[in-house]
Amino acid sequence: MVTHDTPTDPLLTITDLEAGYGKKPILTGASYDVRPGECLTLLGANGSGKSTSLNVICGFVKVTAGSIRYRGTEIAGLAPHRIFRHGIAQVSQARDLFPDLSVEDNLRLGAMRRGGDSAAQTLAGIYERFPRLAERRKQATRTLSGGEQQMVAIGRALMSRPGLLLLDEPSGGLSPQFCEEVAQIIDSLKAEGMTLLMVEQNLNLAFRAADRFIVLRDGKVVDGGDVRAMAGDHDAIVRNIYL
Amino acid sequence: MFLQLTLGGLSQGAIYALVALSLTVVYRSTTVVNFGHGDFVMAGAFISYVLVVIAGVAFLPAAVLAVLAMFVLGVLFSRGLIRRVRGGPHIGLALMCIAAGYVLRGIARMVWGREVLPMPRVFDIEPIFIGNLVITGDAVFIIGTVLVLLLTLFGLLAFTDLGKMVQAVYQSPRGARLIGLNVELFDDFSWGVGAALGAIGGILIAPVSLLHPDLGASFLIKGFAAMTLGGFGAPFGAVLGGLILGVAEQYAGAYIDTSLIEITAYLVIVLVLFLRPQGLFGRKAVVKV
Repeated sequence: MVTHDTPTDPLLTITDLEAGYGKKPILTGASYDVRPGECLTLLGANGSGKSTSLNVICGFVKVTAGSIRYRGTEIAGLAPHRIFRHGIAQVSQARDLFPDLSVEDNLRLGAMRRGGDSAAQTLAGIYERFPRLAERRKQATRTLSGGEQQMVAIGRALMSRPGLLLLDEPSGGLSPQFCEEVAQIIDSLKAEGMTLLMVEQNLNLAFRAADRFIVLRDGKVVDGGDVRAMAGDHDAIVRNIYL
Repeated sequence: MFLQLTLGGLSQGAIYALVALSLTVVYRSTTVVNFGHGDFVMAGAFISYVLVVIAGVAFLPAAVLAVLAMFVLGVLFSRGLIRRVRGGPHIGLALMCIAAGYVLRGIARMVWGREVLPMPRVFDIEPIFIGNLVITGDAVFIIGTVLVLLLTLFGLLAFTDLGKMVQAVYQSPRGARLIGLNVELFDDFSWGVGAALGAIGGILIAPVSLLHPDLGASFLIKGFAAMTLGGFGAPFGAVLGGLILGVAEQYAGAYIDTSLIEITAYLVIVLVLFLRPQGLFGRKAVVKV
């Protein structure tokens, strides 16, 4: 069933979500929502269900109970390619690029199933955002540095003009210098009105980029709130995550 | 004599190249080595035989129908059987392929027993004489057909959006899902294309050889040898490996001993795995510890 959303409606609503790998449950009744134009960060210790949340939303992990509604449409249980066509794109932790294809091919592929009508314009925008990729457009992506590969992964996801962008550990394995670049990329995406759902272990980046946070523990939401309201009290959040 | 042997080897090698390439298409997309592939080659040849000899269809339409039938069979095999065992132990996939191959072989044996069947000659191309070199019509037809097919296939892969998508699925199935591709559909398509290419190999060899239900076994081992030589998963390597194998068989048979023709493929597998396991175009596996 599709309902028409109002400006105040959440873009994504997750209700009592349960999912896991085989018989091992990871999410055990998580509920949260993502509002249009915000950056929500998922925090939690290892195994708390952060990355699983993103993979469930994208259809990579099977939902055993609960609901995921995107723009009012139930998407739980759909195959990844169908969810992508609804406008949800993910930049995964492993990046999952096509190593032997050129930077340009990787980017163009991002728009082949969604956003193809404006692909040329979007591609130009991505080269403007990441001039280094424009310089390396003919290079195979396996020859790029980790930071440049992350740019390709983000650029590829943006090529589909997503309504919701999921970022799984965008600073993972990158130098401090590039972490700052990632923060700037997220800032610019937010400024353009992009809705972001992010998993990030680097708390400095997480708190800098996010508008809101939620804390997952044992697959459930145990805390959450406005990042600005917690300014100066990040220690309390950290205690909640790990203790 | 050297040039004549080379030409004969290339003609034979073109068929091996096609078989190796069809094995590679399936292997690249699904990481499954189709141990029943030789019987797909045999099935393609027999379908064209039935259409030409029994139904009286002309060779070219019969060949097209046989290739289409094998494409459909490949897709159905992937959808109906392979999908069910994916995600399980790899041995399950291998056994499924072997079993399906034996079923095809069994059907052929039920109908024709162990009979050896001659396919009527269909190529009426005059041989070309260049000095002492005789280029037969068969060689022209086989090499020409395979060349056109390979150029079309590699062209599609390199220069079209569909080809880029296929490469994307080959290189990272998860990445392909992240950009909205239906990877399962591409896998089915790869099985279909693999079966169809193998069938073309069988159809090309049928008029210049003899048909029997067990002919697939020899093509399977030649395909494996060509794949090993070219590098597992390398499409261009598979083609080159097939051509080199075809020529090597001819040279070994003529210059050393004719009995070597039968075992050249096995020797190639042993030597390549011993000296250069990644083959000519494969990448060396690097394990990070």
